Amino acid sequence: MLTNALNGLVYGSLLFVLSSGLVLVYGLRRVVNFSHGALYMLGAYIGYSIALRYGFTAGVLAGGIALGLVGIVLDLLVFRNLSDRNPLVTVIVTFGVFLVLEDIVKSVWGTQNYTLDPPAALAGVVEIGGNPFPAYRLFIIGASFLMAMILVVWLKFGRTGLFVRAASVDPSVAAMCGVRTDLLGPAVVGLGAAFAGFSGIIAAPFLSLHPAMGSEILVLSFVVSVIGGLGSFVGAFVSAMLLGQMQAFGTVYMPELASLLPFLLMSFILIWRPQGLGGRSA
Amino acid sequence: MTALLELRNVVAGYGAARILHDLNLSIGEGERVSVIGRNGVGKTTIVNTLLGTSRFMGGEVLYRGRALPKIAGHTAATCGIAVVPQGRKILPNLTVAENLRLGAALGRKGRWTIDEIYRLFPILHERRNSSGTALSGGQQQMIAIGRALMANPDLLILDEPCEGLAPVIVDEISAIFKNLAATGVGILLIEQHLNLVREITDRFYVISKGSVVRSGHVASVSQHDLQTSIMQ
Repeated sequence: MLTNALNGLVYGSLLFVLSSGLVLVYGLRRVVNFSHGALYMLGAYIGYSIALRYGFTAGVLAGGIALGLVGIVLDLLVFRNLSDRNPLVTVIVTFGVFLVLEDIVKSVWGTQNYTLDPPAALAGVVEIGGNPFPAYRLFIIGASFLMAMILVVWLKFGRTGLFVRAASVDPSVAAMCGVRTDLLGPAVVGLGAAFAGFSGIIAAPFLSLHPAMGSEILVLSFVVSVIGGLGSFVGAFVSAMLLGQMQAFGTVYMPELASLLPFLLMSFILIWRPQGLGGRSA
Repeated sequence: MTALLELRNVVAGYGAARILHDLNLSIGEGERVSVIGRNGVGKTTIVNTLLGTSRFMGGEVLYRGRALPKIAGHTAATCGIAVVPQGRKILPNLTVAENLRLGAALGRKGRWTIDEIYRLFPILHERRNSSGTALSGGQQQMIAIGRALMANPDLLILDEPCEGLAPVIVDEISAIFKNLAATGVGILLIEQHLNLVREITDRFYVISKGSVVRSGHVASVSQHDLQTSIMQ
């Protein structure tokens, strides 16, 4: 039971970090970013290649930083032009970006599966409640919570975090007060992409690397964002934790229904509260 | 003497529609000027032109004698111009204190700090942790004024600041504007209420169909004369 709950926490933590990037981009640009899963995948592959040569820490840093740069370029070339466009256009364009990035990954790394060993210091197991639990999974929980805390503290108490929250509601008011909203967009999209990259490489020793990993996680991270309420970090956190537990217990107690449970939960939540758990009603 | 802000033959509008036609207007350092006119003549478009939210089609905007090559959303703020916008535009996801702190985004130093704003509007201190839009209309206008003052501006633009407020709140806010005017900050008041125009400003421009049709000193014209100019 405890092991299942911890596994749920691991998966929920990963989903939250990944969804945070989606929430950030949607909050500022009002763009539902279908390429987010590909950013996660690209971060995992870049981090994997660097980790093999220079060690795990270098791989984690490379996965985050490289994807941060990819995010900045994406914002300047794509997202900036998608704000205030028909949602269908944003879906088509960002899904197109997803396909392009997926093909880049296939061209560079091939279609086979890769596995990345956790660093030696985190390769062992830890006794929790008399049960052995992989130390690396505890690291995933710790790293995810650290990233989430950094994000929350920055948004709530940081000067630029205030600007981001202001610009996410009314960019013209933020600009009127002197905020360079033209610079804020690339920075926030870069940060969202960096979160995707970090979560990709951190997940690599836990889940294997393969070209379909982006689409698999994308669907679930959207379920997290929709249940949580698009643009709500608190909602995304609650939703990710719920889904994590559902995934962990579902695969054990009702394996034939496990893959359906997130969508059932999403349906119930949307009927009961169409704006999602943390969303504002229109 | 070089004007603090000057609009020369400005043409601006929205999409293909031209709202301002060769509009000329200037404000000196510390001067208090009003722009008056009926609804829909282009008063707010002047503000929107300075904020980069309307389409600039021609003419020049000069700040301290230098033409601004491109007007983006943040240009006015970087020039030291703060705006109390029509409709207040208080952000609902920010607390009262955060809405005020947003006004100090550029970190210009001066008299106005958050403590000074709280001294001016004690109710904002009491409600500092509430959502900005949870306050009454009058209190939201106090936030909008406080947010603009937090920028320590050289020029304060007030776009219909008393619109939709109860008479008792209008009196309170008018008294604050009079005190502000005495501090030496330049004021550009966009307004239809001539009482406020007479109380706060020294010079006026009457706008009609996007152009200045009359200008002069407030003291040299009667209330009736001003009213007639607006209605023409």
